[in-house]
Amino acid sequence: MQLRFAALIAASATILGTSAVTAADRKIEFNRDVRPILSNNCYLCHGPDKNQLQAGLRLDQREVAIEKRESGQAAIVPHDAMASSLIARILSADPDQKMPPVDSGKSLTPAEITILKQWIDQGAEYQGHWSFIPAVRREPPATKFPSHVRNEIDQFILSRLEIDGLEPSSEADLVSLIRRATIDLTGLPPTPAEVDAFLADTSPEAYERMVDRLLLSPRYGEHQGRIWLDAARYGDTHGLHLDNERSLWPYREYVIGAFNQNMPFDRFTIEQLGGDLLPDATIEQKVASGFNRCNVSTSEGGSIDDEVLVRYAVDRTEALSTVFLGLTLQCAVCHSHKFDPVSQKEFYSLYSYFYSMSDRAMDGNVLLPPPLLKLPTADQQKLQRDLDEQSTLLQQTIVAELSKVNYVDPLAGRELPADALTVTRNEMVWFDDDALPTGAQLQGDSPWQFVPKTEGPVFSGEKSSTRTATALSQHFFTGAEPGLKISEGDSLYAYVYLDPANPPKSIMLQFNDGTWEHRANWGDEDAIGFGAKNTTAKRLGGALPKTGEWVRLEVSAADVGLQPGIKLNGWAFTQFGGTCYWDRAGIMTRSVAPPTEFHSQIAWEQAEFPTPNKSLPVPIQDALKIEAAKRTPDQQKQLRDHFVQYVNTGTRATFAPLFAKVTEVDQQKKNLEAAITATMVSEDLPQPRDTFVLIRGAYDKKGEKVERGVPSVLPPLPDGVPNNRLGLAKWLVSPSHPLTSRVIVNRYWQQFFGTGIVKTAEDFGAQGTWPTHPELLDWLATEFIKTGWDVKRMHKLMLMSGTYRQSSKVSPSLLARDPENLLLARGPRFRFDAEVIRDSVLFASGLLVEKTGGKSVKPYQPEGIWEAVAFVGSNTREFKPDAGESLYRRSLYTFWKRTAPPPSMSTFDAPSRENCTVRRPRTNTPLQALALMNDKQYIDAAHKLAERIILEGGATAESRLTYGFRWVTARQPTSREMDVLLKSLERQTASFQADKMAAEKLLTSGDSPRNTSLDLVEHAAWTMIANLLINLDETITK
Amino acid sequence: MDPRLEYKLAMTRRHFFGRTATGLGAAALGACMNPSIFANDFATGSEKQTYGVMPAMHHAPKAKRVIWMFMADGPSQLDLWDYKPKLNEYFDKDLPESVRNGQRITTMTSGQSRFPIAPSMFKFAQHGQHGAWISELLPEMAGVADDICIVKSMHTDAINHDPAITFMTTGSEIPGRPSLGAWLSYGIGSPNDDLPSFVVLISRLATGGANQALFSRMWASGFLPTKHAGVSMRSSGDPVLYLSNPPGVSGAVRRQMLDGLGELNQERLAEVGDPEIAARIAQYEMAFRMQTSVPELADISNEPKHVLDMYGPEVSQPGSFAYNCLLARRLAERGVRFTQVFLRGWDHHGSLPGSIRQLTKVADQPCAALIKDLKQRGMLEDTLLVWGGEFGRTVYSQGTLTKDNYGRDHHPRNFTMWMAGGGIKPGIVHGETDDFSYNITEKPVHVHDLNATILHLLGINHEKLTYRAQGRDFRLTDVHGKVVTDILA
Repeated sequence: MQLRFAALIAASATILGTSAVTAADRKIEFNRDVRPILSNNCYLCHGPDKNQLQAGLRLDQREVAIEKRESGQAAIVPHDAMASSLIARILSADPDQKMPPVDSGKSLTPAEITILKQWIDQGAEYQGHWSFIPAVRREPPATKFPSHVRNEIDQFILSRLEIDGLEPSSEADLVSLIRRATIDLTGLPPTPAEVDAFLADTSPEAYERMVDRLLLSPRYGEHQGRIWLDAARYGDTHGLHLDNERSLWPYREYVIGAFNQNMPFDRFTIEQLGGDLLPDATIEQKVASGFNRCNVSTSEGGSIDDEVLVRYAVDRTEALSTVFLGLTLQCAVCHSHKFDPVSQKEFYSLYSYFYSMSDRAMDGNVLLPPPLLKLPTADQQKLQRDLDEQSTLLQQTIVAELSKVNYVDPLAGRELPADALTVTRNEMVWFDDDALPTGAQLQGDSPWQFVPKTEGPVFSGEKSSTRTATALSQHFFTGAEPGLKISEGDSLYAYVYLDPANPPKSIMLQFNDGTWEHRANWGDEDAIGFGAKNTTAKRLGGALPKTGEWVRLEVSAADVGLQPGIKLNGWAFTQFGGTCYWDRAGIMTRSVAPPTEFHSQIAWEQAEFPTPNKSLPVPIQDALKIEAAKRTPDQQKQLRDHFVQYVNTGTRATFAPLFAKVTEVDQQKKNLEAAITATMVSEDLPQPRDTFVLIRGAYDKKGEKVERGVPSVLPPLPDGVPNNRLGLAKWLVSPSHPLTSRVIVNRYWQQFFGTGIVKTAEDFGAQGTWPTHPELLDWLATEFIKTGWDVKRMHKLMLMSGTYRQSSKVSPSLLARDPENLLLARGPRFRFDAEVIRDSVLFASGLLVEKTGGKSVKPYQPEGIWEAVAFVGSNTREFKPDAGESLYRRSLYTFWKRTAPPPSMSTFDAPSRENCTVRRPRTNTPLQALALMNDKQYIDAAHKLAERIILEGGATAESRLTYGFRWVTARQPTSREMDVLLKSLERQTASFQADKMAAEKLLTSGDSPRNTSLDLVEHAAWTMIANLLINLDETITK
Repeated sequence: MDPRLEYKLAMTRRHFFGRTATGLGAAALGACMNPSIFANDFATGSEKQTYGVMPAMHHAPKAKRVIWMFMADGPSQLDLWDYKPKLNEYFDKDLPESVRNGQRITTMTSGQSRFPIAPSMFKFAQHGQHGAWISELLPEMAGVADDICIVKSMHTDAINHDPAITFMTTGSEIPGRPSLGAWLSYGIGSPNDDLPSFVVLISRLATGGANQALFSRMWASGFLPTKHAGVSMRSSGDPVLYLSNPPGVSGAVRRQMLDGLGELNQERLAEVGDPEIAARIAQYEMAFRMQTSVPELADISNEPKHVLDMYGPEVSQPGSFAYNCLLARRLAERGVRFTQVFLRGWDHHGSLPGSIRQLTKVADQPCAALIKDLKQRGMLEDTLLVWGGEFGRTVYSQGTLTKDNYGRDHHPRNFTMWMAGGGIKPGIVHGETDDFSYNITEKPVHVHDLNATILHLLGINHEKLTYRAQGRDFRLTDVHGKVVTDILA
């Protein structure tokens, strides 16, 4: 399934190492030349990890390495390689002596051994790890290619080329330049008109003007933001277990906006990591803090909260280290880092900044696990204000009406009648819809599923709970607090609706007062095995209720062994097979049922004393519980007002319509509230959790307690910042920090040039690669800080360089010398990212709908991608494509289900977004070929591109082919290319001429309707030409 | 000559030999040449040859390919393989604290006030030369008892589905690591260029199944290049995504388009010299070949009736477990390195007996058929078969217990898998558990040990197949794993 490029890969891996060896006169540098060898081969047993340390020898510390050992020899004798036991052991033929040990699987190459010898002979000088040493800004070096210098970048690049005896390439042609810059800055290709305008602009500033224009395009923020979302691990689902939908897209909008308004990168960092902690944080800043909520989360039944909370904090710590520090701290979760100087304790100190975030371990499988932030639109805010005004007005009217009432109690001063109220039983609802009792923890062998009236029968309220089972199945909750109190003579009830098409064999209600041994069973009494029949543990209620209608099931509490005084904390709905709907459940309990209307306030108070109706407002209840004589004047007034408004036969009619209006306004407010967008944000617990080192990373093996702090190898927190996430963010962007700006400019470099100056963009630690151009990296890093972390300025700097503007043509000899183009003797050339491929093709075909922001959309994907993997109860199991313009939005708006990402994206190396990704692989596979040839989206695009070519491309085949070719490559075809295209057109035309049915099928299979004014055969042939154009290597390559 | 091979050779000449004057470097040319097109098949290649990054096998392999029947959601070892006659004395008695020993249990049962023991209601009998105890639920597997090695002492670290299944398939509970199949593709690749080296077959839900989700991370490439990810073959629509030409586009029309495309890409290659273009040309040709080879693979109409009968009546339904097992054999014949067939539904927390009876009806016969089918073709000796899921189930009942109705919670501390074929000692039982099937008493086999053993059988030293990512050399087995030498033939 893959091509065998082993030879090429191997060649590319050696170029830099080779140059270091051949330049024998260069002084060996520990960091560049020696440390990678020691780190790869020796540090595992002779490095920083105390637990693995062998023979007490550390080779990462010079003072230990050069001290005399028991044998009388030192591992390293400076200036004398042959006296150094390090070299002797490496060269030893004795398997017991040989280092690295034979069974380690490691061995040194002769070149590596030479480097070690030279280094020792030169004095064995050590250096601290390069990336932990603050960047030093050096003057850009002189070069012997001054005509190639456009800015400082080129001086660094050219001077390195000189060392390696390479020459820069000439500048690329103008068409290549505008295409390259347009793609790099906006993620879309230039239009033929834009190319023409650029070619027509002969002024020396034409290129710069073009770059400036692109930096101002709103497409810039979309493209740059999309790249950032990989790093932030943004997704539209929770990522674990059910993998239900989540709402975080306002964070995506924030990211796009930040790039478009050129937010300085330091602010961008602070707002994402600690925006919620900023004094007077704005809505935007809180939304930005969604960065910390992008981690995958779970609600899998059976999970242990403590373990899950640890995972979340570890994930957030790793996000910080991967995205900003360019370090992998993963190792330190379980043990001190073997290669980098970060101890396990330091890891947990860093982790403690995130361990006190207030989101719960279980996300509840809901769209918006708190903490969340509501984001009303301007219209919604206006409506909110309108409704508030209406409420106020209504309240005023009520008060006015109240003041008009002159109520005199008819019983005032008369002898009071005796209590004649009857004892009855009233229905009390314990739960209805999805409003379960407080504290209830929903569990079951499948997730609870609530359906609205539009999807199934509902007895009362808005929803019922439903489930389909093939065998025994339970939904239950426990933990309700304060619970449901049982009184003498009470009975319990619930409403059930059995699907007539698929009735269960048996159904059961179970009640938990500490045990579940209280059951009532209807239907096949043997189907559900729980409990001994005809005892309180399994009361038989008889046959199954009638199907196809709502039936009230009721059972006496005493019959199932529930004694007066106990409290229920749980309830279970059990069924064997079939489809059931359950709704409203509760208790019939004894209570005083007073009349609802009174003429006399005294009589009403009497009726409510001393246990007032629970539906009354709490202050009214409180007042009614007190003897009349002991009420405060305020309470007396409250009671009187309440009586007049709600109870008194003579006056309540006046108020009823007003209260109806209040209810209506309240309902509107509720609806509005539900319609308002919300997003997940960060928030800290008021009281931070204690943090401990976790032994071997196990959540339940607590070691030493730790405080918040940053690794000692890095600078301390700046003065005056709070010791929380906000302070941590400010630390990252403090000018003395050696990593952040290097890491970020390196990623920009990677974006434009294909490979970072540090190739391992995610790892600046000892195991990462050495920068190809360390002085350039430092110069760019300091420049970034010096210019106020100005992102657009940094991007422009890179694009303005002569290095960037070089032609990407490569000669065989240069290819052999530098296959990966690490030294940049030529311009960048590599395949587009998945999103750019799709967006460019939609753009060229005229299908792309450019609309910034909003919720994620679901363009076409093959059927069954989600269903194949999803949990039955997941709300992202069934994929339903959107319709209309949502099919053609830019790919960064595509809904990202993290356990089954969009296949047209992952086929082209887009990550799953389960983890932070700062460097995508770039593969070349037959599955990619199939996708570009046959994916419905690309066929649709070919169809529309063909239409565009026919309608806009002139009359001749040549002019049309040129026009189409320009849409995908920006340039004109060569005459040889034109010959191939003409021949292909001729053959395709002949094929469809011979089979018009096929032409018809091709043009009517997609979402776009066929333009019937076009000739069928011609349109079909051009569709295949467009399909060919879309599939050109050049179309998807920079 | 095989016409497909003939065509491949013709393409190669046309596209590569015909254009040596273009300035394409010799190295790149060599790389584009496809070594395997000259080797008819696995058999003719050297034993030591690989098609991945490993220049040679670390040692002589015993197996050339793997088929893993992945029983997702955790089948009950107690009702299938791990016979515990003593449990009958303990019916509805509490699990002795000395056995449970304070081990963690899921929060689904940790609230239970007691842990009543549920003996299996199913009959066990001894089968094969070595008298392995096998449940009445697996009559077909009982018939091939002499061909398999039953490992009763498997154990894992995770107790919930998501982390446990991620651990079993990728060697890590945390999402993001390469899966076993991706490691194989990366390390030794496959000799077949018309098919992926790692194929995943997801069986449709079966009656009796209580299933959890699968995740594409289970066959993902993690930090390895994407081309090593498993290709999930689908039972409806295109067997491989985007395989079919759009309506109205015949093979001939596609060929015309590809001819034009190839020529234009050649022009560009001559102009700019980027070897990626040569690679792309070759990938388009491979895609074209897959358009033939994959439908041919999925079409079982030429299988003789006696073979179809072996797999059972469901074999004719694409997407069924039986069909997928047959497809796995066809993939193995074509050199696919690793095929993972998923069957979900073993999550029997409640009413286990009824459900498992239904599910084993689906699961038993095709497994045994696959063994027999491979054997009759002489392929069992170099095809490694693995059967099992992410964990086992508890001896105590979840929910109420009767003699013939009970449920079982997740149990990571011991569970049963079986292996067969390529390099595995047949007809043995490895490892033992206590009388409650709650703790391992002999020869524990951890997930990392299993992975180490699988790699070993394929000629790979699990400590040497590494990939540098995020600053360290990663292995499938992390820093653990011991080859289980006792079960090697």
